Formats: sequence, structure tokens, C-alpha cells
Amino acid sequence: MALKEWKETTRDRLFLLLAFLLPALWLVVFGYGLNLDVEDIPFAVLDRDQSEFSREYLQRFIQSRYFSFRGYAHDERTLDRLLTETKIRAAIIVPERFQEQLIAGEAATVQTLLDGTFPLHTDIAKGYVIAINQAFTEDRLIDFFRRSRGLTQEQAGVLVRPLSVEVRYLYNEEVRSTWSMVPALVMFTLMLASPLLTALGVVREKETGSIYNIYSSTVSRAEFLTGKLLPYILISLVNVCVLWLMAVGLFQVPFKGYFLLFFFAAVLFVCCTTGIGLLISLLVQTQMAALIITMVVAMIPTILFSGLLVPVASLTRGAKVQAHLFPAMYFTNIVRGSFLKGVGADVLWIDLLALAIFAAAMGGLTYHLFTKRPKT
Amino acid sequence: MTVGRGAATWGQRLVALTWKELLQLWRDVPLLLFLIYSFSLSVLVSGAGITMQLTNAELLVHDEDQSPSSRELIHRFQPPYFALVGAISDPREGLRQLDEGRAMVVLDIPPRFHEALMSGERTTIQLLVDTTNAPQGLSAAAYTVRIAASFGTETALASAGLSGAKASMPLVSSAHRVWFNPTQDERWFQSISHLLRMITLFAVLLPAAALVREKERGTVEQLLVSPVSPFQIMFSKVLAMSGVILLATALALYGVLHPVFHVPMKGSAALFFLLTALHVFTTAGFGLVAATLAKNQAQVAMMALFVVGPMLLLSGITSPFESMPQWVQAIMTLSPLRYYIDITYGVMLKGAGLDLLWKPVGAMLLLGGTLFGSGMWRFRRQFQ
Repeated sequence: MALKEWKETTRDRLFLLLAFLLPALWLVVFGYGLNLDVEDIPFAVLDRDQSEFSREYLQRFIQSRYFSFRGYAHDERTLDRLLTETKIRAAIIVPERFQEQLIAGEAATVQTLLDGTFPLHTDIAKGYVIAINQAFTEDRLIDFFRRSRGLTQEQAGVLVRPLSVEVRYLYNEEVRSTWSMVPALVMFTLMLASPLLTALGVVREKETGSIYNIYSSTVSRAEFLTGKLLPYILISLVNVCVLWLMAVGLFQVPFKGYFLLFFFAAVLFVCCTTGIGLLISLLVQTQMAALIITMVVAMIPTILFSGLLVPVASLTRGAKVQAHLFPAMYFTNIVRGSFLKGVGADVLWIDLLALAIFAAAMGGLTYHLFTKRPKT
Repeated sequence: MTVGRGAATWGQRLVALTWKELLQLWRDVPLLLFLIYSFSLSVLVSGAGITMQLTNAELLVHDEDQSPSSRELIHRFQPPYFALVGAISDPREGLRQLDEGRAMVVLDIPPRFHEALMSGERTTIQLLVDTTNAPQGLSAAAYTVRIAASFGTETALASAGLSGAKASMPLVSSAHRVWFNPTQDERWFQSISHLLRMITLFAVLLPAAALVREKERGTVEQLLVSPVSPFQIMFSKVLAMSGVILLATALALYGVLHPVFHVPMKGSAALFFLLTALHVFTTAGFGLVAATLAKNQAQVAMMALFVVGPMLLLSGITSPFESMPQWVQAIMTLSPLRYYIDITYGVMLKGAGLDLLWKPVGAMLLLGGTLFGSGMWRFRRQFQ
């Protein structure tokens, strides 16, 4: 059985090529392209003061790598228009008498307009604005205390900023987006490619009617199902190795954990995902339906609920439940744990167990569903 | 006269073919149910469920000072950003919980914290951050630094007896006005972007799969010898599927987005649907080109994945477009979704009209025309 399916799959050259090439190519595209750091926020400026202070204040934004300066505006209407056209995402308005007020020791207010369509980016941009503003204010305060109280630069500095934070980044010490993305993308590519291959393989038989040959033959259900799954599991496992090599070699992601554990988890995970494909293929009749349902079932929860982009802890309850129902979340934990944290089975056993249960459930379910087919 | 009649029969045939496609889709019950699910329940769940802003970052505290100041500082780590999950007395316990993924941030307050603050010395708190998810880790660190800075300045000024005199100091405060989504309701963003994902996914897959199915079964040859042109064959498929997708979009818009999340429609709804149709056509063009290249549905699936995956992840709904590498931005000028994002947010949230949106609309028209043309050209060449 497995041999037959293997032959059938390999006969289709383009399909085979894509089956091996696609995951690798995706990893390259996303690994390099999916930059989650918010940088180069386009912004424009309205400087109503035109003073030394206002220029220094704005210069801090212009020089920051988080912002990308797009020019001066002469009135607020221009800023409105630029924001609506999405030419800029932020606008800074420095009021009149900015310098005068600060020198006189009075408080001043700088107005910032932010595009709120992408709340996450808005939030991060707001954080940058606050940080730059804070640094400018501290310098002004230090100046002020030096002049008004005759303190030294250092004394004034301690007075203005007595508390500092020492941040230690664990696991991903240089806080690189690629380090956290690439391992998760290994999961993502496996989650998409394997069920799709399986689902299409089975439904193809159904549509062409050759499945009736199986029904009437002496091949048992278990033989049929394992025979169907085996080639796809093998392809996926080759892909696991290729992806692992790429992550370590090409992207230089450290692998701190145990390869055997990782590989064992990958086997379980691939069993789950091909199982999903098989399940879908048993439920639908046409390749079109198999294709679309598999893509939506595999892609959307994986992008949204697996911890790929959003940590599971910050999901609401309904979404959290959905996250726990799919194997993607558990495998993400294992992948990130093995690559970045270097933890072993003592920590990851829950996720391994969940994957095993899921794989077993998939096996049982498909076995059960498949019996009913020949009767109808 | 003959020209008029010719056009009439031409139109009739197109309608008949379109009707046939609709019937075929109608009979595929699982697919139909799934379509409805994707545009209703699934939009609801992801709109309500996902926040990418830092939420509930699990915080562990190791407080070696146990003073009023340290408690006051801890008290400032508040939901929705942080969720205090416990206090520990041993730093190793903190590391273990980070390993197991049960905590994301560990805050370490040194002994003599209160004393140092009161006597005007400089003091340092330590923060351990799990950065397996880099953006979230950075965000958590940034919030902590912000909290610590304002706490430190306030306490120091208070102890120097200056707290009441804030107005007489050169403080620059930064006032923010957030436009287009003033409350930063992330459900607006998530539900809209989920809808965009669904529209794009179905727009690539439905027509492509329909065309390849005919190729695979050989029914396309029957169609070609019948008195319909290749253009009619392809166009009828796109027409049928676009109609279905537009209906589904209306369902999502008036069934979920409007009543549940109160997403406004500041611009013209008619314009939005018109441009959605344009987007579906353009995106379907990708699917059709893929379909002419493929021999069977499995191949189409792989090619569609190849196109749709990058399109969904790199066009700017999941990550900021401006900060992507230049070469990605260059490649993505080919993605219709990239323009459609600007159009959708422009019409729905910003109230923009065609006068402001003509650039993305023009780009999409150009792209759609080219794709359709090359798809047609390939399709015709294959059968002649």
C-alpha cells in the first residue's frame, strides 16, 4: 500500500518538487521578510516655534532609527491629509513659545497625532514617543537644577533619575526577531504542507473512483490508512531535517536542546497534522473542498492561535480554548524550548503528552470514520 | 443588428456558465458550510480573541526589600499589560518558572531599595525577560523602563520637597491624539484584517480550483469545442466566485463587524464593495495563472500556498509594512492585498474617497489587467 502511494506521489514530478521545495523556500522568505520590529515609522513635523530647543527636540526623532522623517508641514491641514492618505503614521506638532516656556521654567506640551488603524503599531510608536520625550525632559530638568540649585551635572542626574532598570534578556540574548520567528516557522511550514498533501492524496482516489478498488480488495482498514499516511510522514520528516539544518546553518539560530527529543516531537506532530489531513479527506468528496478546508483549518489557527505571533497567555478565553484544541501550540512550545531555551523532557513532557494524545485521537477517529464508508 | 444579437448571446452564454459554476458550488455542501463559517464565526472569534499588544505578561516578583517603596513600585505593574502571578523568595525559582514558560518577566528589587531612594542615591532594579517571542519581550522591557522612570522621578522629587511645584519646572509633556481608532480598540483591527485574510484566501482558491477541476476531468475540452470562448470560460468562473465572496463579505460586515464590534463605515459602503470586487478579480488572476500552469488540483494547492502564504504574512496585516526589508517591499508591490489593505482601512476607518485612493486603485487595476491577460494568453495557447 505505502509503496503504491509512494509511486503515485513521486510520479507527479511538479508536485514532488513543490512538496520539498515549498517548505524550504517559505522559511527563507519569512525568515528574512517577516520583521516584527516596528521601525522606520514615517512621520512629519509641524514646528510652530522654530527655535533652538524645538529643533533639538525634533532632531531626536529624526535621528532615531525607529522613525523615518518625511518632511516639514506648514499647517495642520497638510498633516491631516498625509495621515488620511497613509503617507505618514505619526505627526508631531511643537507649539509656539516652546523654548520661551522651557527657559522660564514652565511646563510645555508637545502634540503627537498617531494613526490608530493598527493598534499594536500605534502602541509601540507611542512608547517610542514617550521614551524620546522623557529623555529630552530629563536633560532639561538636569539643566534646570544645575542653574537653579547650583548642583553638579552628576548630582542633578541622580536627582532626576534615581532609579535605573537593568534588563537581562534570556534565551534570545540579542533579542533578534529572526531567532524567535524561525523556530516557530519550522512549525508553521510543517503544519501547512503535511495535511494538505495527505488530504489531496486521499480525495484524489475518491474523486477518480479508484477508492472502490480498495473497498472491494482484501486490504484492511488499518493497512489502507497507514499505507496512505506513511509516504507523507516520510516526506515531512525529510523536511523536518532540511528545515532544522536551514535554521541552524542559514539563520544561525542556536539549538540549545536535545535533537532526539526534538525529532521525536516532530514525528508526533507530523502524525497529528497528516492525521488532520486524512480526517478532512474522509469527510469531503471533492478536491476543491479538501483543498480549501485544509488550508483554512491549517493556516488561520496556526497564524493566530499557536503562539507564533501572539503569546497564548494574552488570548481571551474563547481563543485560548481554540489554541489548546490544535496541536500547533504544543509543538511551538517544544520548538522554541528546544532551540532557544535548551530545556529537556522534564519541562516539555506535558506538550509531548498532548501531542501524543492528539495523534492517537486522530488515528482512532479516522479509523472509526473510515469503517462507515463502504457501507453507504 | 447582428452585432447586438451577438453581444446578447455572448452575454447569455456567460450568464449560463456563471450559473453552472454557482450550481456546482451550491452542491458542495461541506465547502459551502465552511465558507459561511469562515466569514461569520471565525471572524467573530479572531476579532474578539486576539490582542497583539502586550497583555497579561506573567510577572513574578522577587522583593528583597519589602518596603513601602517596593510595594508601591510593584503596584504600578497593572493589567492589561502585566498580570502578577506570584512572589518568590529564591531567584532560582524564577529561572525555573521562566524555563517552563509559566512566567514571562521576573522583577528583582534589591535590599535597601527604599532607603536608597529616600536618601537620594542611585539604585538599580533588575528585570529578567523571556525573549523567545522577541517583540513581546522588548515591549515588556519598554513598559518596565517607563514605569520605573516615572516612579523614580516622582519619588525623588517628592523627597526633595518639589512635588507640588510641577508647573514651575521645565517639563515637556507629550499629548497624544490617536486618529481613526481613538480608543485603540484592537478588535476593529483584528476583525477587519481577518476578513481581509479570508477574502484573499478564497479569491485565490475558488476560481483556480474550479478551473483545474475541469482540466483534470477533461471537461474543459468539451467546453472548448462548444461555442464559448476561453475568455467566457475563465471569466464566468471568476464572476461566480466573486459574487459568492462579495455576499460572504456582506455577511461578515453586517452580521459581525457592524453589530458586534461596532466597526464604523466612515466612507461609502458602495465604494468599499466595488473595490472589494476589484480586489477579488485581481487576486483571482493569480489563481488562474497558477491553474494554467498546473495539471491537477494537488499542484494548484501547492502553488496557491506558495502565493497566498507570503501574501497574507508580508503584505502588512500581520507585521508593519514600513519596517520590512526593501526587497520584500519591492516584491510586495505585486501583491493586490497590499493595496487592498490601504483601501479598506482608508474607506472604513478614515473615510477616504477615490480622490485620495486613486493610487492604490490604479495599481490594482494595472496588476489585475496584466494577470488576467497573461492567464488568458496561457489558457488559450494550451488548447490551440
